[in-house]
Amino acid sequence: MAIIEALPTDQLALPGAVTSDYKPAGVFTRPKAGGTGWKSWLTTVDHKKIGIMYGATALVFLLIGGFEAILIRVQLWSPRGTLLSANAYNQVFTMHGTTMVFLVVMPIGAAFANYLMPLQIGARDVAYPRINAYSYWMYLFGGIFLNTSWLLGGGADGGWFNYAPNNGILYSPSHGIDFWNLGLIITGIASLAGAVNLIVTVLNMRAPGMTLMRMPIFTWMTLVTQFLLLFAIPVLTVAQVLLMMDRTFHANFFNVAKGANPLLWEHLFWIFGHPEVYLMILPAFGLVSDILPTFARKPIFGYPFIVFSGVAIGFMGWGVWAHHMFVSGIGPISVTAFSLTTMFIAVPTGVKILNWTATMWGGKLRFTSPMLFSIGLVTMFTIGGLSGVTHSVAPADTQQTDTYYIVAHFHYVLFGGAFFGFIGGFYYYWPKVFGYMLNEKLGKTNFWLMLLGFNLTFAPMHILGLQGMSRRIYTYDAGYGFDLWNKVATIGAFTLASSVFLFIFNIFYSRSKAKSLPPVGADPWDARTIEWMIPSPVPEYNYDPIPTITRVDDFWYRKYGETKDGKLVRIAATEDVVQQRSDGKHIHLPSPSYWPIVASFGMPIVAYGLIFNLWLCLVGGIIVVGALFGWVLEPPDDPDAAHEDHDPAAHGSDDGTVVVNAGEVAEAGDVAAEKEPETVG
Amino acid sequence: MSRRSLGLRIFGAVVFAVIVTLFAALIYAAFQNDGKPLDTFVPGGPSSKEIQNLVIPVFAIAGVVFVGVMGAVLLITWKFRTKATDDPEEFPEQVHGRTGLEIGWTILPALILAGVAVGTVATIINLNKKEDKAIEVQVAGQQWWWQYKYDINGDGNFDGPEDITTATEMVVPAGRAIQVTTTSNDVIHSFWIPGLNGKKDAVPGLRSPLKLQADTPGVYRGQCTEYCGLSHANMRMLVRAVSASDYEAWVANQLKDHAADPTDAKALSGKTTWKALCAQCHVIKGVNDEKMKTAKVPLTSGVAPDLTHLMTRGTFAGSILNLYDPVDPNDPSVTLPASDIAAAGYPGAALTGGNVDVSRVNRVSLEAWLRNPAAIKPNYAQGGRGMPNLGLTEAQIDELVAYLETLN
Repeated sequence: MAIIEALPTDQLALPGAVTSDYKPAGVFTRPKAGGTGWKSWLTTVDHKKIGIMYGATALVFLLIGGFEAILIRVQLWSPRGTLLSANAYNQVFTMHGTTMVFLVVMPIGAAFANYLMPLQIGARDVAYPRINAYSYWMYLFGGIFLNTSWLLGGGADGGWFNYAPNNGILYSPSHGIDFWNLGLIITGIASLAGAVNLIVTVLNMRAPGMTLMRMPIFTWMTLVTQFLLLFAIPVLTVAQVLLMMDRTFHANFFNVAKGANPLLWEHLFWIFGHPEVYLMILPAFGLVSDILPTFARKPIFGYPFIVFSGVAIGFMGWGVWAHHMFVSGIGPISVTAFSLTTMFIAVPTGVKILNWTATMWGGKLRFTSPMLFSIGLVTMFTIGGLSGVTHSVAPADTQQTDTYYIVAHFHYVLFGGAFFGFIGGFYYYWPKVFGYMLNEKLGKTNFWLMLLGFNLTFAPMHILGLQGMSRRIYTYDAGYGFDLWNKVATIGAFTLASSVFLFIFNIFYSRSKAKSLPPVGADPWDARTIEWMIPSPVPEYNYDPIPTITRVDDFWYRKYGETKDGKLVRIAATEDVVQQRSDGKHIHLPSPSYWPIVASFGMPIVAYGLIFNLWLCLVGGIIVVGALFGWVLEPPDDPDAAHEDHDPAAHGSDDGTVVVNAGEVAEAGDVAAEKEPETVG
Repeated sequence: MSRRSLGLRIFGAVVFAVIVTLFAALIYAAFQNDGKPLDTFVPGGPSSKEIQNLVIPVFAIAGVVFVGVMGAVLLITWKFRTKATDDPEEFPEQVHGRTGLEIGWTILPALILAGVAVGTVATIINLNKKEDKAIEVQVAGQQWWWQYKYDINGDGNFDGPEDITTATEMVVPAGRAIQVTTTSNDVIHSFWIPGLNGKKDAVPGLRSPLKLQADTPGVYRGQCTEYCGLSHANMRMLVRAVSASDYEAWVANQLKDHAADPTDAKALSGKTTWKALCAQCHVIKGVNDEKMKTAKVPLTSGVAPDLTHLMTRGTFAGSILNLYDPVDPNDPSVTLPASDIAAAGYPGAALTGGNVDVSRVNRVSLEAWLRNPAAIKPNYAQGGRGMPNLGLTEAQIDELVAYLETLN
C-alpha cells in the first residue's frame, strides 16, 4: 500500500506471466517514466540526468566559491586591505574552502562517477536509482542550506577544518558554524548513500565478461574513491555530531574547562580529512588515465600498476592523517611515524605520474583540449606532489605548515590536479553527454589561460609561505616583503576567473553553433572504452544490446586488431561496431519517484530547527519519515507502464547480472522509447 | 581534428614563457631575504639551522625530480606530437607496459625517500634533545597576544615572587638554550619564530616543548600561525636576544615593582585613571598584583598583558604597533620620520622591535590605541576578548600615556 499513490488501472504484469495483486489506496499518481521538461528532472532516477545535475550544481557552487576566492585575493592585494573586515574575511575564507571541497570538487567527482561509471561497466543504471536521486538532492539541499547562512547571520568563521575549541559557542557565538556543521552532515549523508550505491553497482552490475581487471581505470578509481568515502565520511559526521551536541545542547566534548582534549577534534577531522584529499584527486586520475591513451593512440602503460597504485593510495591514505598535526604537540614518536608513512605514500603517486608519461612516450599525440588539460594535470600535480614530499619531512613542515606554502601545495593538488582533470573530462565527455563538441579553439585558449592564471595565482604562494606569510590572515603589514607576490597572485586569480568564464561561454557558444553542424556520432575522439560505442547523447537505456566484454579497452579492439609485433590494424569501420539508437521498448528501466526529493527536503528543515527552533525539527522529521514510508511502500516498477515484451532474451547478451536488486532495477516499467534524449537546457 | 591555429600557438608559447619566467623569478626570490623578517631561510639559531640543513637537500632532490618530470613531459609532447603529414590510420607501436621498468620506478623513488627518511628521523631526534641548564619559559597564547612566564629561580614554578611574567616580547640571552613550553588559555594558537625554530601549537590543556636559541643578539619576529579567531592576523610576537650581561640587567629590572607613585603630577593622575579603568584586566606589579593573584583565568582571556615594565618593550598590542619611533638601522641615533596613522595606514607599519629610547616614544600609536583599540585590532571586547573602547577623554589619554611612560 502506497500511502498517497493512486489506484492502478489493472494488475501488474511481471516476467514469467506472474501477476501480483496491487491495491494501493492513494491520491497521487506516480510520475511517468520518460517524461521531459523540468519536472522530469525532479523525479528522475536516471543516473545520467543525476550526473548532469551534480555537474551543473557543482559549477554553480564553483562560481560562488570562486567569487569568495576573488574577495580574498582583492583583500590581500596590498598591505592593510580594506575591502573586507577581519570578521568578513574569516567567513569568506572558511566558506571558500568548504564550498570548494564539499560542494565543488567532491560533487564533480560524483557527477562523473554517476554519469560515466554505469556506462563504463555496461550497466542500465546504478544499483539503487532512487537512493542515487536521494544523494543528489541531499547534496543540493545541504549546499543551499550551508549558503543560506550568509543571509541568516553570517557564514562559518572557523576555517574549513574548524578546530576545537575555536568552533565552540563561546568563541564563535554566531550561527555560522552551526550551518557549517549541519550542512556538512547533510551533504555527508549524500556522499555516504552515493558510496554504498556506487560500490554495489561496480561490484554487481558489470556487463558480461567485464572482470575487475578489465574495467576502465576511471571505474577503478571511482570504486576506490567510494570506499574512501564510505569509511571517511562517518568519522567527520561523528565529530560534527559531537560538535552539534556541544553547540546546541551544551555538551562538553570539546570543553577544555571540563577536561576535554581539543586534539580529539583534530584527530577525527584529519582521519576523515586525509582520505578526503585522495577521494578528491582519484576520480581525476581516473579520467586522465582514460584520456591520455585515447590521444596518445596507444594503451595505458602498465594498466595493473596504475590500478594497484590507486588501490595502494586508497589503503595508505588511512595511515597518514597526523601529518596535518606535526606541530600540534603529538610528540616526537608520532611525528616520526607519520612522517615516514607520508613519505612513502609518494611512491604509488609517483608510479602514476611515470606511467602516464610512459603512456605518452612513443605515441602519436593529438593535442586536443582534453589532452592538454590531462597533460596539465600530470605536470601541475607533480609540483603539488613534490611540495607534499617536502611537507612529509616533519622538521621542514614545522616551518611550512599553516603558511602560504601549504596553500600553494594543496591548490596545486586540488586545482592543478583534480580540477584540471575534471575540466579535461568535461571537454572529453561533452559530446557523449550532450551530443555536441565544445569548441576546440576556445578549449585550447581555455587551457592556456587557465594554466597561466593558475600558475600566476598559486606559484607565488610558495615563496610567500617560505618567506613567512601565515595563512588565514586578513591583513599583513608592509615591511614583511609580502607585497609583490600578493599582487601577482591577485592578478593571477582574475586570469583564472576569466578562464572559468571562458569555459562557461564555450558551453553556450558551442551549443548555439552545434545546430548547424553534423551530429557528433558515437565516437568523435576515436576512443577506447565501451561508453563510446553507444549513441551520443546516450539513450536512456544506455546499451542495446549490452555488450560482452573480452578485454580492457574492449571498444578499441572491436575497431582495431593488434599484430604480434605490436602493430595496430583496423579490423572494422567505427560505424559498423557502434550501436544504433533503438526504440528501447523492450528494455526495463527503473521508474521515477517523488520520494527522494521529498525525503531530502525534510533534512534542511530539521537542521534549521536545530539552529532556530526545535519545533521545526518535528516538521522536518515528519516530512522525512513520511517520505521514507512512501518510498518503502512504493513498488519498484510503475504499474501503469506496461511492457510489450518480457522475454529475457530480448535483453541482448544480458547474462542476468543486471538484475541484482529486484527492488530497484531492471524489471521495472517501460521506458517511453520515442522520447528524445535530454540536453542541458 | 582541427590543426592548431597560429594565434593559439603564439598564445601557448607566451603562456609557457611566462610560467618558466615565473618559476625562475620564484627561485631567485627565494634567495632574497632582505626586508623579510619572517623568512624561513634565515636561521638564527641551532634548531633553525638544523632544519635548514635538512630542508635544502630535500628541496634540491625535489628540484631535480621537478626538472626531470617537466623536461620529460615537454620532450615527449614535442617528440611524439602528431604532424600534419602523418597518416591518421597509422598507429604507434602498442606497448602495454614493461614490468621490469614498472618495478624499477616503484623501487627508485622508495629508495630516494628512504634516504630522505634517514635525515628526517635524525633531525627529529636532534630537535627533541633536552638541553641542560636551559632557561625555562612558559609561553601562553590568548586571543590575541602572547604571555611569557620565566622560571627564574628554577623551582619548576612560573608564578613565584622571583619569577617574571611579561607579554608580547620575549627577552633571551644570545647563545643560551631556552626551553619553551607552549600552552593556551583559550583556543589553539601556534608559536612561531621562524628565525629560531619551527612552530609549535599552543593547545589549551596541553603543554608542548619547543627549544629556542639565538646565536647572536637581535630581534627575531614571529606570527601566530594557527587560526585563532577574529584577530589571528594581528597576533604577533618577537624574541629579543641580548648579551648575557644585558639579560642579567633585564631580569633584575623585571623583578622590580612599580609600587611607588610617579613624581610627575600628570603621570600621577594617569595612575589614578589606570587604577580605575585598566586595573580590572591589566597588572602592574606593586599596584594591583595582589588582586590579580586571586583572579581565576577564564578560558576567554579576560586577563590582559602585564604592563609592569611596558616601556622596556619595543612593541605593544600583540606586537603590531611600535612603542618607539623607528630609527635608522645604520645609525641608531637618527630617528626616522615619526610614523603617522594617516600616512602609513597604521602606526606600526615599520616595526622597530627592540630599540628602546624614552625620548622617542611613539605617542601617535599609543594614543590611537587608547582611543579605540578595536579600530586597530578587531576584537570581541564585550565577550572579554580584547581591549574595550573605554571612551577616554583626550585629557585622560594624555595622563595615561604620561603614566605608562614611567613604567620602565
